[in-house]
Amino acid sequence: MKSFSKMVYPYVVWAVAMIVLPMLMIVLYAFTVKGNSVLTFQFTFDNFIRFFSDPVFPGVLWRSLKLAVITTVLCILIGYPSAYIIAKLKPNSQALMILLITLPTWINMLVRTYAWRGILGHMDMSGEMKVYIGMLYNFLPFMILQIYTSLSKIDPNLIVAAHDLGANNRETFRRVILPLSLSGVVSGITLVFLPAVSSFFIPKLLGGGQYVLIGNLIEDYFISTGDWNFGSAISLIMAIIILISMYITRKLDRPVADEEVD
Amino acid sequence: MNSFRMLKKTGVAALALTLAACGGSGSGSSSADTETVDAQTVHGCNVLNVYNWGEYIGEDVISNFEQKYNAKVNYDMFESNEIMYTKLMGGSAYDILVPSDYMIERLLKENMLQELDKSLITNIDALDPDVVEMQKVYDPELKYSVPYFHGSVGLVYNTENVDPAEIEQKGWDILLDEKYRDKVYMYDSQRDSFMVAFKALGFSMNTSDENEIQQAYEWLRKVHETVHPAYVTDEVIDAMAYPSDNNPKDIAVVYSGDAAYIMAENESMDYIEPKQGTNIWSDAMVIPKNAGCPGLANEFINFILEYDSSYDNSVTVGYTSSNKKVTEDLSNGEFDGIGAYLPRTGYDKDEVFRFNEVLVQKLSDLWNKVKID
Repeated sequence: MKSFSKMVYPYVVWAVAMIVLPMLMIVLYAFTVKGNSVLTFQFTFDNFIRFFSDPVFPGVLWRSLKLAVITTVLCILIGYPSAYIIAKLKPNSQALMILLITLPTWINMLVRTYAWRGILGHMDMSGEMKVYIGMLYNFLPFMILQIYTSLSKIDPNLIVAAHDLGANNRETFRRVILPLSLSGVVSGITLVFLPAVSSFFIPKLLGGGQYVLIGNLIEDYFISTGDWNFGSAISLIMAIIILISMYITRKLDRPVADEEVD
Repeated sequence: MNSFRMLKKTGVAALALTLAACGGSGSGSSSADTETVDAQTVHGCNVLNVYNWGEYIGEDVISNFEQKYNAKVNYDMFESNEIMYTKLMGGSAYDILVPSDYMIERLLKENMLQELDKSLITNIDALDPDVVEMQKVYDPELKYSVPYFHGSVGLVYNTENVDPAEIEQKGWDILLDEKYRDKVYMYDSQRDSFMVAFKALGFSMNTSDENEIQQAYEWLRKVHETVHPAYVTDEVIDAMAYPSDNNPKDIAVVYSGDAAYIMAENESMDYIEPKQGTNIWSDAMVIPKNAGCPGLANEFINFILEYDSSYDNSVTVGYTSSNKKVTEDLSNGEFDGIGAYLPRTGYDKDEVFRFNEVLVQKLSDLWNKVKID
């Protein structure tokens, strides 16, 4: 076994080069100003002060978090029943349904969003509504797949046992199926919430240029202003918020994991 | 030309490719009569890295150049001066860049450009003297750049719904007219939007005066509240040329070259450069200091200046050529009756952008504030 552990090294090197170094660069940029043109670093909190001293930027952050939370909740509300129904089908039908759900994800997200723009362009609704439709459409498959996977892994004998012990359908769902599928919901949340909070092209394409989110802000400061330092600071603030929310979702999952061990 | 570009824009790649292939064999043979030069023997290198704006070149220009000089061109495209600058700072080596005026001013200031070899650029006299006048703003000695396209910023409007006399009289202030609520596109760029505000208020667009900046911000906020414009980028071209949404817009802030394209596609559209003045701009070819093949790069600049290449570029893209003869021929030919193809020159209220890093940062924060409710 010991010889196998050596095979980890290439991955470690890759991870440092591709993940850790760029992150460190972002941190470096975030705590400096004009690091782009001058090579002398001066550490400063200016970028963060600039972000929080103007209510506009925290406002955008709040709006992005709201959009991501609502998208995630809608995905759970629609995704859980869908996954539950699919898991109850015959194995052949299950495979077909899962294929149908994954089918759109074979096509690039950007292309599908452009298609939605064509469809929604003719409809009279607010840009915000269009953004929500686009978000839900793009992220729903991830939620369904995660929940479906955890539901289909539940041992049918557990359900039979619950019935034997006198639980009705409702109780069986609440006390057996739901807790056992919660890990799927949690990983679904991770897969939906994280990309949703930093998504920038869906609001850009569907919001009619009137819907600014944190992802758009970051893009704007990197691309059209060329202010990498402020853009990095916003990215870092985002990263911290994501880290915190991941910690909270992990906490949600913890009690379930403990029960499984028992 | 127009059907070609439309196909490309709507993404029918296969069809466009077929068309390009047809076009290539058709006109490629006609200009192949010029003698060929072997880049390797003359300049010691035969690979040219060109970094230009997207949708900014004729269909056969690159292949004709490659044939004539027995060279290989790597053609990259950028969508903003800032992206180009960032990539350049990241160490990418290019032989030819085509930035805008203020970016050339910045590159010159940072000592990143090399002097052109005028002995190789024999077609320099083909340049429009008005464009050279504009060039003096960012390249005072005319040593580092050769203009490519130029133009202005103005308003494209639907003559069926907007009275030409009214827009003529109000200029930029028409953006404050409640009649046009939800009927306006503005360009999602702090530079262009603040230019509109500064000009509407009668200030210079290169101002650093805090009070004037604040007033411009309030002007844009007022526009945001009264007409509730949609802030867009290049999608404005298709949206104005082929209005199909259930809520087509009547007025849009656009670049003159895009206006020329829109007007060629849609007869009810017209273009106006407001009387309060506007931004006149010029994109020019430069050679960075770290160019790998500067000799061939100078040849490339000369090749672009040639009548055939300039004509091909301009007729394909719709932007105004810096080659005076081409501009004259096209404004009487393909673009006859399309005023936007001939942007205004020599008007005292029009200005060229100057590089001002402090102002850029200030405006970009304010611009985000304008857009966010």
